[in-house]
Parts: sequence; C-alpha cells; structure tokens
Amino acid sequence: MKKIALYFFVSTLALVLFALSLRTGIVQIHTSLWHLLRHHSGVDATTVWQIRFPRAIGALIIGAALGVAGVIAQGIFRNPLAEPTLIGLSSGATLGTIAVIASGAAAYGSRLNAEAAICFALIAALLVQLLAPHKGYGFLLTGIAISAILTAMAGLLISISPKPGIQSLSFWNFGSLALLNNRTVQIIAPFIEVGFISAFFISRRLDAYSLGESSSHYIGINPKRLRLLAYISMAFLIGASVSAVGSIAFLGLLVPHIVRLLIGPSHRPMLSFSALIGAALLLLADFLARTLFAPHEIPLGLITSLIGAPALIILLRTKKSQWVVHD
Amino acid sequence: MIEIKNLSFAYGKNQIFDDFSAVIGSNSATLLGGPNGSGKTTLLQLMGGVHKPDSGSIVINGHDIASLKSKEQAQLRSIAPQRRIFELAFTVEEIFAIIRPKQRTTRAGDIFEALHLYELFSSKITELSLGQQQRVSVGLALIQNAEYYLFDEPFSAQDSLYTQKLLDVITSVSKETGIMVISHNTGHIAQYFDENIYLS
Repeated sequence: MKKIALYFFVSTLALVLFALSLRTGIVQIHTSLWHLLRHHSGVDATTVWQIRFPRAIGALIIGAALGVAGVIAQGIFRNPLAEPTLIGLSSGATLGTIAVIASGAAAYGSRLNAEAAICFALIAALLVQLLAPHKGYGFLLTGIAISAILTAMAGLLISISPKPGIQSLSFWNFGSLALLNNRTVQIIAPFIEVGFISAFFISRRLDAYSLGESSSHYIGINPKRLRLLAYISMAFLIGASVSAVGSIAFLGLLVPHIVRLLIGPSHRPMLSFSALIGAALLLLADFLARTLFAPHEIPLGLITSLIGAPALIILLRTKKSQWVVHD
Repeated sequence: MIEIKNLSFAYGKNQIFDDFSAVIGSNSATLLGGPNGSGKTTLLQLMGGVHKPDSGSIVINGHDIASLKSKEQAQLRSIAPQRRIFELAFTVEEIFAIIRPKQRTTRAGDIFEALHLYELFSSKITELSLGQQQRVSVGLALIQNAEYYLFDEPFSAQDSLYTQKLLDVITSVSKETGIMVISHNTGHIAQYFDENIYLS
C-alpha cells in the first residue's frame, strides 16, 4: 500500500515537472499545452515540440537511466559509494564521444557517437576490472585512477581539436541538456532501453550477490558473468546518456540511497523507483538550470551537485541506515 | 557420495593439502574436525568450487565439480560459509526469497519452524544478533534443494538451545541427504555424527 502511494506520488511529481518544463522558458507560451497537444503548428507549437519537448523527454529518460545505473553500480560493487562516474564508465563514454567527434567520424548526437560512447564506457569498465586488485577498495580506487586518465585524455582532445561542435570541457564535465533535439533523443532512447532491460534481467541476482561473491556462487550464480552483464547494462545506460548530455554528477549516487530509504534494498523493486525518482530529479535540476538565472543557463552538473550533495548528507545523517558497513 | 581424490592445494608456498583423499557418504552426517589452520575451510571452498585443486579432484555423485557451472554445482551441494555479508537492510523474509521457489527443498517449512526462523521474518537482517544472523545463514543453505549440505562452523555463535535444535535438524535431514559439518570444537557434538574426519 505504502509502495503504491509512493509510486503514485513520484509519478505525479514527474508529470507535473514535465508539464512545467514544457511551459516555462525564455519564450512566453500563449497557448495552453492541452491545445498544443492537438495542434502542431505555429510559433508556440514549434517552441514546445521542437525545443522544449526533446529536452524534457530527454531529462526523463536520462534521469531514469542515471538512477538505474546507480542501483546497478552500488549492487555490483557492493559499495554505497559506487556510482558509474566513479568507476570509469562516464569518463570512458566522454572520451569515446569526443574521440569520434574530434576525428570527424561522427557528429554530436548521431548514432555512431552514441555507439562509440557505449563501447568506450564498456572498455573502461573492463580495463578497471582487469587492472584492479581483487581485494577491498582496490576496485573503486583503480576506477578513480582510470577515470582521471580518461578524463584528462578527453580534455586533451578537446583542447587540441579544431573541430567546431565539439563543445567545451565544461559541457562534457558538468553536463547540459541544452543541445538535445528530437533526433538525438530518438537515437539514444533504444540504447537506454537495452540498458533498462538488462538491468531488470540481473536485478534479482544482485540481492544474492550482496551476501558476498562466494556466497552467491554457492547459491548458483556465476559472479563473473553477473559482473559482465552489469557492466554492459551500465555501459548502455551511461554511454548513451553521456554521448548526448555529458556527465551529470551525483544523481547516480544519490537516487539509490533515496530509494533504499523509501522501499528497502531489494534490487528489482528499486529499479522502477530509481527510474522515476531519477527522472523527476533531473527534470527539476534542468528546470532550475534554465530558469534560476534566465536568460543565462547554469551548467546542469552544478545544480545536481548543489542539491544532490547536501541531500545525500542529510539522508545519511537523519535516517536509519540501510547499508551497514562493518569495520 | 563426495569423493575427494588425491587432492593437492597450496596458497602460494603454503601447502594446505598434499595428496589428500576422503569420502563423504550420502544419507549420513560427517563431522570434519581439526585445529585452526588445518585447512577445514579451504577444503569446503574447494568442495564449493571457489578454488580449483592444484591436482586431484572432488567428485560429487560422479560429477567433477571443477567442470560444472555455478548453477549445476548449486543443485548438487548447498553451502553455509563461515560468514556471509549482511550489509543491506533486507528483511529476513527477503533474504530467504533469494532462493527461488523452484530451487527450494520441500523441507523449507519444517526448517523454518525447527530453527524458529518464522519469528525473524519481518526483522531486518542488519539488526539481528550475530547468532541470529548465523541461524538465517544456515537456514538459507538448508532450504536450497541439494544432495549434500556443507556447513562451516555453524554452531560458533549459537547458544546450547540452538546448537541442539540445529543438531536435531542435521540428524533428520541426513536421513535423506549427505551432510558435512566443519567444527574446530568437535568433542561434545561428535556423538551426533555417523562419521568423523580429522584434519591435522
């Protein structure tokens, strides 16, 4: 009962934020959204459907992707600190995106761009897996190191590439939904869908995996295959997202913690909630990024950090811990 | 039966087993004793397929476990390791739900009852005592449908009441399956077992 009420509440919230994103912006809309839903011509319709709609629907999909990727990351690394940014996936995706744009192989927002980002994200995760010592925090620390190298390489490419349209370092590092258009959203949506489906597919096994690697093997789960599937799932979610909007800080870390407090740590139910809450939070963050200092737009990552980080601290302090780490 | 054939295994230069052989029978309870560091847990991990022997083999009902997938191993043997990681605030019921219905033995209900696990179902695993967590961990292994049940120090955190209850469960389950229990303190429980193996 509590879950259904929560579900309803978060869905409504996301819907309201979605409508608000369509309505609000520098250009005043004089027609009701209801009317525009049926009439696709005129200045208002173009503003809403060509500019704001891809941005809002993109926030919805990418927010959901980041939330789900966070759940998978914390589950597969059995660590409340884990998030896809921390383990090389995001920086791998950034490097892949920038590499194909800088080499002229593909333009921003194209299919090849998204595919390169996904491949590089997966390669980065496998590289971390290959290089990391198999004890303690070795994995996360190796991830941070690889991440730093890949980010530096991406920065280097941006600095030396004369290509127009490669965007700035700040675009990729802080993220922005400003460039989203209907075509790019259509390109990344199926990739993110693959990520969702594979996440759903492995979610139940992550419960068993939380009891320890050998413990999960005793129950009949192949830990190596589970890890590989988790990397693939995260690579699709993060790669596709990053290729379109850059890396957005903190959502992947924060969302699973919120969801665990609301409905407990079972991974499968966590997925749908994390998707909803991630979507709502990214819509909110993008709305604030566009409107707070309009007509200037603030980098999205600044908003998610400014809201997300204090929220995380409050969550960790005030509520009963859902993740007890023994020392 | 489980046949341990000419098993050799070393951690680096530390030779744990050198040409070790033993047999663990079906429909019986075997107690594996030995001092700290004699290789009891390592043997369990070898039987569980976590480590591979340097030479020799472990064969369960005719299957060399080194050649089986995780899932196939889990249908042959169920293991309660010395410790599991209980960090996420699952309820005990959610922990047991990890063993899916088709993986479960028909004895599950009896085991929940005998080890007083039903009364823990709504509790969060992270808020239980060490002894209660251990009971859940042993219960989790017992409800998995398998032909052999292997336990690593299942009594270490139990009071005399639950030690006795668990011994009763072991005696009853071993009529239909094979059970092996590792314990460094075998004196007072040896009488409940059909076989004793001592590692030195």
